[in-house]
Amino acid sequence: MLVQSLKKDCVMALVYEFVWRILHALLHLQRALISWFRVRLWNWRLWKRAVAALLVPLALGFQNHKKLGSSAGKQGLRRVRWGADGKSLEKLPMHVGLLIVEEELHYTDIANLVVWCMAVGISYVSVYDHQGIFRRNNSRLMDEILKQRHDLLGLDSAKHSLEFLNNRNEKQDHQVLSCQAVVKALSPDDGKPSIVRAAQELCRAVEEKERRSKDIDVHMLDAVLRGSVHIPDPDLVLKFGSLESTLGFLPWHIRLSEFISLPSHTDLSYEDFFSALTRYATCEQRQGK
Amino acid sequence: MSWIREGELSLIERLSANILKAGPMPKHVAFIMDGNRRYARKRHVERQEGHTQGFDKLAETLRWCLNLDIREVTVYAFSIENFKRCKEEVDGLMELAKQKFARLLEEQENLEKHGVCIRVLGDLTLLPLDLQQRIAKAVVSTRKHNKCFLNVCFAYTSRHEIANAVREMASGVEQGLIKSSDVSESLLSKCLYSNNSPDPDLLIRTSGEVRLSDFLLWQTSYSCLVFQSVLWPEYSFWNLCEAILQYQLNYLSLQKARDLHREQQALQQLEADRHCVAELLLMHSGNGKGNAMDTQSRQEHLLTYTAEREERVRGFLEALQQRRDSYFTDLTSQVALA
Repeated sequence: MLVQSLKKDCVMALVYEFVWRILHALLHLQRALISWFRVRLWNWRLWKRAVAALLVPLALGFQNHKKLGSSAGKQGLRRVRWGADGKSLEKLPMHVGLLIVEEELHYTDIANLVVWCMAVGISYVSVYDHQGIFRRNNSRLMDEILKQRHDLLGLDSAKHSLEFLNNRNEKQDHQVLSCQAVVKALSPDDGKPSIVRAAQELCRAVEEKERRSKDIDVHMLDAVLRGSVHIPDPDLVLKFGSLESTLGFLPWHIRLSEFISLPSHTDLSYEDFFSALTRYATCEQRQGK
Repeated sequence: MSWIREGELSLIERLSANILKAGPMPKHVAFIMDGNRRYARKRHVERQEGHTQGFDKLAETLRWCLNLDIREVTVYAFSIENFKRCKEEVDGLMELAKQKFARLLEEQENLEKHGVCIRVLGDLTLLPLDLQQRIAKAVVSTRKHNKCFLNVCFAYTSRHEIANAVREMASGVEQGLIKSSDVSESLLSKCLYSNNSPDPDLLIRTSGEVRLSDFLLWQTSYSCLVFQSVLWPEYSFWNLCEAILQYQLNYLSLQKARDLHREQQALQQLEADRHCVAELLLMHSGNGKGNAMDTQSRQEHLLTYTAEREERVRGFLEALQQRRDSYFTDLTSQVALA
């Protein structure tokens, strides 16, 4: 009797596992199909654009002689259009976190995103991946951003002057005042370890009798964490990739951040980016009330 | 309505549960039970009714979790920010909590049967004294149970929790139990209210809001976050299954990221210990003793230092746990005296 019921349990367990595997295979397939269609759709859009770009000047009789002028004009138009897009939204985030949870990182696509953020009028942009790759290749990322800014927006007018912060020597770097966008590459080291460093600093002050432990509260810890530079908490985190996790992104600062997920940062279109901003603009924050 | 709803799953639910259980299951699930008030508005009932139904849904969800072999659940019941709501609503919520904790004490037998341990995380001193006493009674009477765990975050925000952990460490430094250089990521984790639980594997927020609202910020760094649009009182078994499926799809990548983080954490600790040893040695050699150390004795110094640090930390954590335990026992003895 017992043996029989054990046998039955065993068989059932195998059946369940089999069904589970099929279920997951289907889900993975669905995911793959969606991303495949996305790429196809993107390619198709590119095609349409390329064809339009070829046909329109032909039809109008402009060929080569106006090319330079038109490209500068296009950049100017884009700048105006993106700026107007930013203003058309009910609310715009001050600080956007770009959280990449994908294995493959594309500098050009990230640079594009950062430039779009600047163009619509966002003041602070943080770029994060949990392996610290962007942080280690900070200069490469920043070069790419400068390049994309030049390509997309035309000349490096003072209007979009950039400031790159490197955490380690924040104080020296923070002297540019005319800037409109602060771009920062972040790594897990800026998360929990930075809270631990702040805690150590406070404990050292207590050890040296400069502070009392009972005075420590949220405000004090927050002030120590921020240091001398005041950067607001990210109001919006755009997460790229199918993994549903923050992977250690600034635990202290994402208290009230809205998370919006996008399937991938690769080949993301401006329209997708802007629709995420539109979604953010409709979010209502009640702050506990 | 009791804390854990009795009753079994239907056949089709049981079948699905078994299929899900063939894969990796979350051991600890956290809920932000959002949408009670919107539900009340939608159904044209009193706001308080929405909260009551929200509690009933919790009882139902706990039963599903038991059926799914999820042994630990953490819920966000009341945030410190919620004190900003209108007085009427806050009073209503406190009254509901009082009722439910009283009810819990009547259900001792049931809780014992399932082996449910109840913990309440948060700054309880912000609550009215009679509620504090009831909470204390519930916590003390279920302390020994160890089959499943329900953590109720009450008068809680994550930033308060972290700041409180830092304050505890600083007071340990003040009393000479630990040194400021002993402060580390793992020590901070152990000073949080949630020190007795593993980090949640899965965090679920209902009602379509897509933020953490100051809940378990430290603990969910590598958890799977699932935002669902259903309002909490309408949450169903299938919603829970969907969230678990989401977790299973993310499982491998999350595990990888977690391992990487663990490695980095261990490396940081080693680095910190090395740094402390080097500083100590420098102080000694400054007093005129020998200079260059061979690697072996350096290693030995490192080992002794690490052992000493661990000993300090152990003593400190023991004292902390004792203080936290006695807060609850003191409250219950107050009740006994009264």
